[in-house]
Amino acid sequence: MSSKKIGRRKFIKGASSAVLGLAAAPFWNANLSFADARKAGTPQYRTLGETGLKVTEVSMGVMNCSDPSVLHRAFDFGINFYDTANSYMAGRNEEMVGKVFRGNRDKIIIQTKFRVNAAAKENRQSVETSLRRLQTDYVDVLLGHSLKNPGDVSNPALIEFLQTMKKEGKARFTGFSAHTDMAAILREAAKSNSYDVALVSYNFTHSNELKEAVASAATSGIGVVAMKTQAGGYKAKDMGGLSPHQAALKYVLRDRNVSAAVPGVTTIEQIEECAAVMGTALSEQDFDALRQYQSHLQGRICTMCGGCIGECPHGVAHGDLLRAIMYHDGYKNDKLAEEVLHTGDASQKIKQCLECSSCAVTCRRGINIQAQIKAVHQMFS
Amino acid sequence: MTGRHAIIILCFLVASFSSQNVFSGTTPIKSLVPKTAPDGWALRDAPEAFTGETLFEHIDGQADLFLQYGFKGSVSAVYRNANSSEDKIDLDIFDMGNSLQAFGVFSRFRQEESPAGIGLDSYLGDRYALFYKGKYFVMLQATDASPSTLKRLAQDIESRISDNSAAPKEIGYFPKSGLKPGSIEYFPDGLLGHQFLKRGFKASYTENDATKTDNKTVSEGRDFHLFLSIFETSQQALNAMKLFREHLSNKGTVAEGIPMPFGPDTLVGVDPYQGKAIVAHKGHYLLGTVGFKQDKDGEQRLAEFMRGLK
Repeated sequence: MSSKKIGRRKFIKGASSAVLGLAAAPFWNANLSFADARKAGTPQYRTLGETGLKVTEVSMGVMNCSDPSVLHRAFDFGINFYDTANSYMAGRNEEMVGKVFRGNRDKIIIQTKFRVNAAAKENRQSVETSLRRLQTDYVDVLLGHSLKNPGDVSNPALIEFLQTMKKEGKARFTGFSAHTDMAAILREAAKSNSYDVALVSYNFTHSNELKEAVASAATSGIGVVAMKTQAGGYKAKDMGGLSPHQAALKYVLRDRNVSAAVPGVTTIEQIEECAAVMGTALSEQDFDALRQYQSHLQGRICTMCGGCIGECPHGVAHGDLLRAIMYHDGYKNDKLAEEVLHTGDASQKIKQCLECSSCAVTCRRGINIQAQIKAVHQMFS
Repeated sequence: MTGRHAIIILCFLVASFSSQNVFSGTTPIKSLVPKTAPDGWALRDAPEAFTGETLFEHIDGQADLFLQYGFKGSVSAVYRNANSSEDKIDLDIFDMGNSLQAFGVFSRFRQEESPAGIGLDSYLGDRYALFYKGKYFVMLQATDASPSTLKRLAQDIESRISDNSAAPKEIGYFPKSGLKPGSIEYFPDGLLGHQFLKRGFKASYTENDATKTDNKTVSEGRDFHLFLSIFETSQQALNAMKLFREHLSNKGTVAEGIPMPFGPDTLVGVDPYQGKAIVAHKGHYLLGTVGFKQDKDGEQRLAEFMRGLK
């Protein structure tokens, strides 16, 4: 392998990492220290902004939870912060939280949200309904649900209402959630000095602009909670066995400006997978997983451009094998994909490819060729 | 071509187009939104349509739930009361792709049985009306409106839906005796909170728990569940049974050496979060009962369930 090819491969790897929002080199730990190894998978806490609340850095978004057993498992693991909302499932989501944690209210931190209405009486009614469903007379964090723009953040009626809820003891701390225009909203909130907590969508696909806005909000004292950490949910079954969920969570938690992440889990297996991330660090393998995941999310399939760099020393016709993925993912035509894989010695070549320690072929567009061939093998074996 | 020929061709084209809509059950979703509403309520703005990519802008994190259930598209509209500008009725009509998924979403929202006789099933509360018909799930939420207004508006929408697909057949498998009304739910994944159970149904039953206090016998209703997990093949169901057994071995307990009334693959044990469990296998299904206190009740109910399963 020529030094020129190594130089190109490092360049491509760096370019992919830059797309992920950070430079490749110093951000993974190949080896955990003994102290770090002992921490792995045990509850780790961060302070939620200036609230003084100690929340587990991996907490739980309850919205997608399919069964109370998942909440019980999360609690047994030591997770102490739970996010729900008044509107979820017409109130059944809050009711489930209230029922599961009856008797343990003092051991958990509840965050719920209300749809911001122009009429204060509707907002009040919404909060009071939530308290009843949650079987509590206060929530730890009350959020205005889904603000859309910086103007919503500086809305004096909303700020006044949230302060009233605190004065009446219905909420210990208040804030907002946002899905869109998040960087601008966070910057406005940082200036406003009226919010304790902000819940925003934050994951490895987001830009440096959002990262900086998160930092700005955190510096101003706002506790930033990250949702949508999986950038599209649990779709491992579509990714040929790739399971990047822990890597995605580690990426978010690597940012110390984030107080907690609230992945929206559905099953016990998912909450266990997420909770196991606590106390661990982002590794090079995690980084690779995120690159592949990003390729998958962006629908980056080989387009047969013929621009592959390098040649396989074993003669694996990677172009043909990548075409199988294109048929499967792009054309949704598994028959064509299988025809490719049953041609000649394709299956033998796949085996050779998988046994190879490093790939001599690189893609100009950053597709991880060996990982894609592995995905093909898993799909059709 | 004569005028008469043109009219004949035009009629043929109109008839073809109409019949296509009737037989395919395909109706533009915006056409399901009534332009008028009862009791002084009126449509405020033009209805707004949402896709899988934009749904979260309308219903935030709840969009994930709809996407899990196969969401295809939706339309939203707001009605205002002419007598009170602060009051409104929010209407959302969701195309869930088929009646199973529409039922699934409906079952997650419905709180208890309070049927309104609309669609395949419905719920009418003080401020909520929900129903599903065919592939559509419809939700009406009011700030302040009478249930009768919500019901009439829901009926109007129902009459516009031409999809007459039947309700999921699995609903009929659940024994009626002891069934808590409105408790049958469908999950597209993660039944009972377990990845390995994949998709299926769960229903709640009431078990009478007689206890003696101060020389008096007090009977209290206690809930337990029947569940039905659906796989593509019998082998997949057996594989899932194996994983369930491992789960109980690792985290709960497995009862060994007791009679297996439901076949050799039956699993009996205690789940750490569900309580006592009996899990049986039939064809491409796993079915079972969890959370019962009296073994006899759990076994009888499961036996009845298994007999009714086709």
